[in-house]
Amino acid sequence: MSKLGMVIDLGRCVGCGACAFACKSENNTRNRANGQSYNWADFIMHTEGTFPNTTHFVLPVLCNHCDEPPCIAICPGNPEKAGKGKPYKALFKTAEGITLHNPELCVGCGDCQTSKGCPYSHEKLGSSSLNGETYSVISLNPAEDNPQPFWADKTAAIAGGTSSGAEVSAKSGARIPAENVWQGGELKSIRSDDVIEKCTFCYHRVSNGLQPACVEVCPSQARIFGDQQDPNSNISQILKNEKSFRLQEDKGTKPNVHYVGKYSPRA
Amino acid sequence: MKLTRRDFIQATAASATWALGGSAMAAEAKKAKGMPFKAALVPRKVRPSTPAKGVWTASTCQGCTQWCAIQLFVQDGRVSRVRGNEISKSNHGYCCPRGHLIPQMTYDPDRVKVPMKRTNPLKGRGIDPKFVPISWDEALNTVADKMLELRNAGEPEKLLYMRGRYSPTSTDLLYGTLPKVFGSGNYFSHSALCAEAEKMGPGMTQGYAGYRDYDLEKTNCLVLWGTDPLASNRQVPNTIHRFHEIVARGTVIAVDPRLSNAAAKAHEWLPVIPGTDGALAGAIAHVLLTEGLWNREFVGDFKDGKNLFVAGAMVDEAAFAEKETHGVVKWWNLELKDRTPAFGEQESGIPAAQILRVARAMGKAGSSCAVWMGPGTAMWPRGTYASMAVYALNGLLGSIDVVVWEGASGPKLNKFPSTDPFVDEVAKKGYKNHAVDVKGKKDMPAFMSSPINNVPNALLKNPGAVKVVLSSWSNFNFSATGAGRWDEVMSKVPFFAHMVTNPSEMTQFADIVLPSTHNSSEGWSIVTNMSNGYGYASIQQNPIKRLHDGKQEETEVMWLLAQKLKAKGFANLADYYDTIKDPETGKSATNELEFSEFAAKFTSAPIWDGKEVQKGDAPVNGWAEFKARGMFSGARYTLKKGWGGKFKTETKKFEFYSETLKKKLTEHAAKHETTTDDILSVSGYTARGDVAFVPHYEVPKRHGSVEEFPFNFIDYKSRLNREGRSQNLPWYQEFKKVDPGDVSWGDVVKMNPLDGAKLGLKTGDKVKITSQAGSITVDLKLWEGVRPGTVAKCYGQGHWAYGRVAAKDYAQATPLGANNNEILVDDYDRMSGATARNGGFTGVRITKA
Repeated sequence: MSKLGMVIDLGRCVGCGACAFACKSENNTRNRANGQSYNWADFIMHTEGTFPNTTHFVLPVLCNHCDEPPCIAICPGNPEKAGKGKPYKALFKTAEGITLHNPELCVGCGDCQTSKGCPYSHEKLGSSSLNGETYSVISLNPAEDNPQPFWADKTAAIAGGTSSGAEVSAKSGARIPAENVWQGGELKSIRSDDVIEKCTFCYHRVSNGLQPACVEVCPSQARIFGDQQDPNSNISQILKNEKSFRLQEDKGTKPNVHYVGKYSPRA
Repeated sequence: MKLTRRDFIQATAASATWALGGSAMAAEAKKAKGMPFKAALVPRKVRPSTPAKGVWTASTCQGCTQWCAIQLFVQDGRVSRVRGNEISKSNHGYCCPRGHLIPQMTYDPDRVKVPMKRTNPLKGRGIDPKFVPISWDEALNTVADKMLELRNAGEPEKLLYMRGRYSPTSTDLLYGTLPKVFGSGNYFSHSALCAEAEKMGPGMTQGYAGYRDYDLEKTNCLVLWGTDPLASNRQVPNTIHRFHEIVARGTVIAVDPRLSNAAAKAHEWLPVIPGTDGALAGAIAHVLLTEGLWNREFVGDFKDGKNLFVAGAMVDEAAFAEKETHGVVKWWNLELKDRTPAFGEQESGIPAAQILRVARAMGKAGSSCAVWMGPGTAMWPRGTYASMAVYALNGLLGSIDVVVWEGASGPKLNKFPSTDPFVDEVAKKGYKNHAVDVKGKKDMPAFMSSPINNVPNALLKNPGAVKVVLSSWSNFNFSATGAGRWDEVMSKVPFFAHMVTNPSEMTQFADIVLPSTHNSSEGWSIVTNMSNGYGYASIQQNPIKRLHDGKQEETEVMWLLAQKLKAKGFANLADYYDTIKDPETGKSATNELEFSEFAAKFTSAPIWDGKEVQKGDAPVNGWAEFKARGMFSGARYTLKKGWGGKFKTETKKFEFYSETLKKKLTEHAAKHETTTDDILSVSGYTARGDVAFVPHYEVPKRHGSVEEFPFNFIDYKSRLNREGRSQNLPWYQEFKKVDPGDVSWGDVVKMNPLDGAKLGLKTGDKVKITSQAGSITVDLKLWEGVRPGTVAKCYGQGHWAYGRVAAKDYAQATPLGANNNEILVDDYDRMSGATARNGGFTGVRITKA
């Protein structure tokens, strides 16, 4: 059985943001609202030291696809809808070790976002997330709320002269004009309301032999994705040969996202 | 705001006990019956998955000056994703974050969708132009009528054209054609706003006044000076790709007054006091010479082998035998002998010990040390000499044409036919008219480019010089320093037609608005550039369905305008365009879209028409194959091509004593019947006599006394800036934090905490930044990434127009954040003509707002 995972080489990473944009384009994630970032890929930023001995660090973050995922533990799922004896949790593990989400079984409770559900997430992000101090890997689309409001807005800055989100969307023939249309198991390329959403390790891509979008676009190839069970894989070799760490080891979640290297040679 | 289910649960919670009701109760009830955790981890089967289906189609990004060959992922006529062109030898198939913003810019809801005309004659910032939609017919008839009024009155020169972002080939159909055929000498490019002073260093020493290229694969010591190429300037994807290798095998040194991306990842950060780069460079050169670390193969040596470069001591020029260079001893005697590390520390604030350490690391790497000099070094009122001082280090190290290259030339392209047969007497006369006088004056030698930012000054002095203004892909009211002057002058222009994608700041002054295509996704053209040792030509081919009635400014709009002018009696422009034919059929265009495609096809024909085998990539068999591949890279750069007396300078050598600059200055002085010292004096430089011809330190010029304006203000570029255009994207705002120290969905000025303590200011305070030019209000962030006495703020935010995201309130003209150009003083590096924006030349005062 395979066990997919990712290594992020901080020595290679320059914090440029290409991975986060590729993720947004690939997965059609919406704009921040109501304390939800909808950034499946995000960053922690941190400046430390005193001038001129100052250093700055960037840490790309995403769902850790944990071996012991508290999000699955806490997920109430929908037993009624699933049917008797059937798996009913909305969050679940695939055979490849990906923590995936089935929106059909999601009741939109947001328990997975709480500190008990995910030590890396927050139910509501405050202004500290705009500084790169906090982030969330799970976001919630509230019930009865249009999950793509930017592209439903009918207002025009100049009546008849400039366009609107709704008009661009209608003329493009897609729900959002740059929609990247894929099919990912039970997942939809654009989420509906009343469900959570999170990184899928680009399940729709990796289950078809492609790399996750964030991995593919990285100009410094800082992200290495692959099967940790295969001793010959690039990721296994790196984990074997280099000192690595994972986020919040003390929580016992056993993440499958690992970090190697130093962001700054001055650190 | 919608209540989430959790809001609801929390709102109804009584102390620590959940008091549940309604649907929340149902959710909890479902949870209570959950299966054991381990059972939940049994892998589940997933319904089949398929990735997105579409076609990667070649295009070219124009989000910075590099113009990377890219590919767009097209599904059902829509663009969703972007990557580097996989056959690119310059970006290795990657684009930087800017490229990924192309779909968002293409589908920006605030795009101008149809031509518009102004119905409110009153013009000014914050005054609603009351634009109403009109047809292309009406719009172009109006523009053509206004233009012909000028020709009929015998004053075609009262047409002013100002070019913003352009295609390096299609520009010849507008910038290169309209002024000549119609007849106006009053046309300007945005170029001097952005980089021209940095070209003075290589221009005056090496005879190469262009962007440089670097062999990052072979560079063992990389000195990033006044530039942050992990974010901006040049070849960002290639730099990101190679940077970690250089960090691992060698030394990376960042000279930047703020903690940039490169500075964060460098071994050495030299936070130089703004504007003192020349002193630091002089001290490094001093160490390289006194410690015998210069490159013998390039510079030569003392005839008897004994190093006579001793601090403070004059050296006999005859004692040294130079090889590829000219004037090293003159440079030493005139400038370097006293530029000790102690002097460097005193002026630049960089400790002498660090100067020594860095100079030795550079000297050790020798000709594998690349000094990558950027605009931060050069774009200030005396920046020519800082640019020369920093660039000349490459000469001492022998890196010239080894790891620091001139740009490689790309494939041969067709040039558009001559306009000469279509230039009539009226046009000839008008073309010679330079009533909008921005250069050539005694105090503005402008050897590189016309200082476009001087246009408002010229027009304020001579308002009658211009009656009709055309401008494309420009936004000078936002992007140029002293922005308020542009507001003043554009509100007085009798007629202005703006070709633009969004209702920008400058558009607010337009009489006619012509919606432009977003050319990376919607236009046709051939774009040329170079990096990583290769020159290339890359296509733009409109692979998607255009959603609005935008037209490409340099080809489609011009072709349609030419037809209007012809219908009204002036046929020369249309007749000229008819000489550009489809190279396959020999036919002229019958509509604007054909013209646009024919122009791209005509330009690129030598790559694919099979007539001549070009050096570089494998031959391309036909137009269809070229469109599929999308680019052609020429032969790799030839090393040491200028060595052996082939540099394009006066002496054919690399000039530490610049006979090239001396000649230019002497000619300029002769034209104005004066001395070079007088030219230097009126142009604001401190050097007199021979020192003016060597790279040297000039003390920073500063607008505003330190007493009244105690802080040096640093302006820098966001790695997400697609020039000034991407701020209307939510994604730009969401990830603004990728600029070190910056804050998403905001705009902060960064100040050292020691200064904050002195002024009683804290992070989050609203502060007013005041200079001699004006004041702006933004949020404060206390940050250890700037030195005390210096404050830094990114350029990009502060749009009071452009759209719903960039502006806080478009209708009320309320900006999100504030524009640096409203406080930066309108000044120039007069030798190059470049607009000053760096080097701390604007002093500011910070007070609580």
